[in-house]
Amino acid sequence: MLKGVDFELHAGEVHALLGENGAGKSTLIKIMSGAYAADSGSIWFRDKIVGGHYGPRVAEELGIVTIYQHFHLIPHLTVAENLALKSFLTEPGWLVNWRRVDRIAAEALARLQFPIDSAARVKDLSVAQQQMLEIAIALSKKAQVIVMDEPTAALSKRETEVLFSLIGHLKEQGLGVVYVSHKLEEIKTIGNRITVLRDGNNVATLDAKTAELNEIIRLMIGASRVTESRHFSHPREKILFSAHQLRNKHFRQPFDLSVYEHEIVGITGLVGAGKTELTRVLFGADARSGGDIRFAGINLPHQRPRGTVKHGLGYVPENRDSKGLCLNLTVAENLGLASLVKLKGWLFDRAAQRNIVRQAISSMRIRTRGPNQPVKYLSGGNKQKVVLGKWLAASCKLLLLDEPTIGIDVGARQDIYRLIREFRLEPDHAVILASSDIDEVLEVANRIVVLSDYRIVAELDPAQTSKQQILELCTRRTAA
Amino acid sequence: METPKGDRFSQIRAVLGNQAVSMSAILILMWFLLSLMSPYFFTVANLSEITLQTAVIGIIAAGQTLVILSGGIDLSVGSVFAASGIAGGLVFQATGNLWLTLGGTILCAAALGSLNGLFITRLRVPPFIATLGMLGMARGLALILSRGIPIFGLSKDYLWIGQGKISNVIPVPTIILLAVYTFVFSIARYTRFGRFVYATGSNAEAAELSGINLGYVYLGTYALSGLLCGVGAVIEAARLGTVQPAGGNGYELLAIGAVVIGGTSLFGGEGNVIATLIGALLETTIRNGLNLLGVNAFWQYVVNGAVIIAAVAVDQWRRGL
Repeated sequence: MLKGVDFELHAGEVHALLGENGAGKSTLIKIMSGAYAADSGSIWFRDKIVGGHYGPRVAEELGIVTIYQHFHLIPHLTVAENLALKSFLTEPGWLVNWRRVDRIAAEALARLQFPIDSAARVKDLSVAQQQMLEIAIALSKKAQVIVMDEPTAALSKRETEVLFSLIGHLKEQGLGVVYVSHKLEEIKTIGNRITVLRDGNNVATLDAKTAELNEIIRLMIGASRVTESRHFSHPREKILFSAHQLRNKHFRQPFDLSVYEHEIVGITGLVGAGKTELTRVLFGADARSGGDIRFAGINLPHQRPRGTVKHGLGYVPENRDSKGLCLNLTVAENLGLASLVKLKGWLFDRAAQRNIVRQAISSMRIRTRGPNQPVKYLSGGNKQKVVLGKWLAASCKLLLLDEPTIGIDVGARQDIYRLIREFRLEPDHAVILASSDIDEVLEVANRIVVLSDYRIVAELDPAQTSKQQILELCTRRTAA
Repeated sequence: METPKGDRFSQIRAVLGNQAVSMSAILILMWFLLSLMSPYFFTVANLSEITLQTAVIGIIAAGQTLVILSGGIDLSVGSVFAASGIAGGLVFQATGNLWLTLGGTILCAAALGSLNGLFITRLRVPPFIATLGMLGMARGLALILSRGIPIFGLSKDYLWIGQGKISNVIPVPTIILLAVYTFVFSIARYTRFGRFVYATGSNAEAAELSGINLGYVYLGTYALSGLLCGVGAVIEAARLGTVQPAGGNGYELLAIGAVVIGGTSLFGGEGNVIATLIGALLETTIRNGLNLLGVNAFWQYVVNGAVIIAAVAVDQWRRGL
């Protein structure tokens, strides 16, 4: 993954690590935290070589603590118990010394200078408080280096400011902070230096205060990989699907979105910008609290998927294994499921179902040992084709795709693009494609909608935009 | 997950890979051994007795199979069985009409089963708890309605359902058992509802996102499970000539046991209805065999419980192959 990275961190500095998905940021921080081994090269810590692989325990002894995006807190225990968990594990005896637990917790929280009730249960804390608690735990481990992976992804603007003042405090205490984030403006506020990774190499280390935003983005994308925008515009004649003033628990700000016949609308944004939530509310998987959806001239009242599917919507969820497929059923059973849903009556024509399935397998080039093979034995790309095929077989009209090519190989990816393009040419057909892969959206979509913080911040013509522009729109912090 | 390839090995795997096949083999082996040990075992009379004894549990287990395939469980079958039996008995006492009695029993059972379904879909109570609650409520209902007193005096044509024989050989309950299995097997295999049951049990979220109405699947499976408890109650009442408010005690163990011995996964989505019939036959054979060998009846519970655990252990080992 990494191809020779140099990285250094000073005491009392915040060093930001930047790069696109897959540039090697996670790999680097996992090597630092001892979770992964480096193939070659060495790591120095305070004038001492510690080797390329030392394991998580040594990392902790050295004082390198990583705070991941997903917390490692125990939700049903109190703040104090979470803080003292380590002493539970190491102290001998059966009984818990509650006085000691309270003392440990009080000490750790005092260092934090952020009010958290030590008797509260973790599940009742806000995301920001949980984040702070993670930091308190890190500090109680005598951390020298704190690695933060997207710490503000789930924080509001005010909570972010609290976090920043805490980080400033840590800097004063002489700790080093490695800060991974997509939000460039944030990094300019909090960071001292920036290292940009691309394709497993460090391409530059800059001073955070003087670096220009578009310069950073150019370094992240790489001059050679700026994609040629492709011209795809299609005469927009008929609105097939439209959402008007739609609101729900995620989208506090109502939004409008129209999709024309034959159109592929690409929805893009950073992780956590609301792409999945957008596709779910349009499909009916999440409830809406206001607004209308019209499809093919009909007003769709709020319906669960069982209603919208009958009208001709189809949904390919982000996680195909947990939400898209019935893994222990066969390829045929999965492919036939949505068309079976749309039939009426008790019995169904088994021969017709078999035909639908056979056709889907051959036209989609699904590589399987046969229609009766359990779908769990298929590769990722073929599994995804089964999820997509389920909707094509059910002759759905509007496909909602959430990250349809995540984790699948190039060949299957091209097959899926081909299927989407063929699909949209049918009369009264259209596609909504949500993807955090900007290249993908530029390649496939006829129109690009940029989401940031659960808001539509721009609608762009792929022929007249660039990856750089989209990335700038994605990373711009919206005023709360 | 890769297994060593090799024709021999994969052949063995394919045969062992089906719990129903291995359980059928065990059943036949058991019949063979028992006929060596007891001259009475392999007689027409005893074999038809086994199918007769299987009928009630087998019918209840057929409904239980659908519930378990959908990813749920029905613990209330024994109590629903008793409550619906008593309800039917009261209808008989009041009217003396055979058809009203049958209708009353089955309707009451289906209603209690539907109530399970409503607890699960409307109140979002997990199946284990909903049916555990129903286990208590339906048993109470049986005792309240009957004031704790068994009901006697069922008419002759009613008793024929449990005691009659077609051409003096095949017991009527055996015929009903086969009819119920044909019916439930067809539902599972040939109806849209049946396919939705499998999909829901395999992955409820994916099923819902494919447009399946989960409420309809749950309501249907629990209603059917209840209804078949009613059919079982009719047969048992007709066999014994009386309806007991304490009847059906422990039937959930036998019914769930038959389903898992047949290899249906308790996680849902995997298994089949016919395998449950084999599981139920196996359970009856063990009881029948222990009787013939003069083993204390109390031991039958122990052996039956142990067989269930052993069957699932074998199933787990088989999956790991």
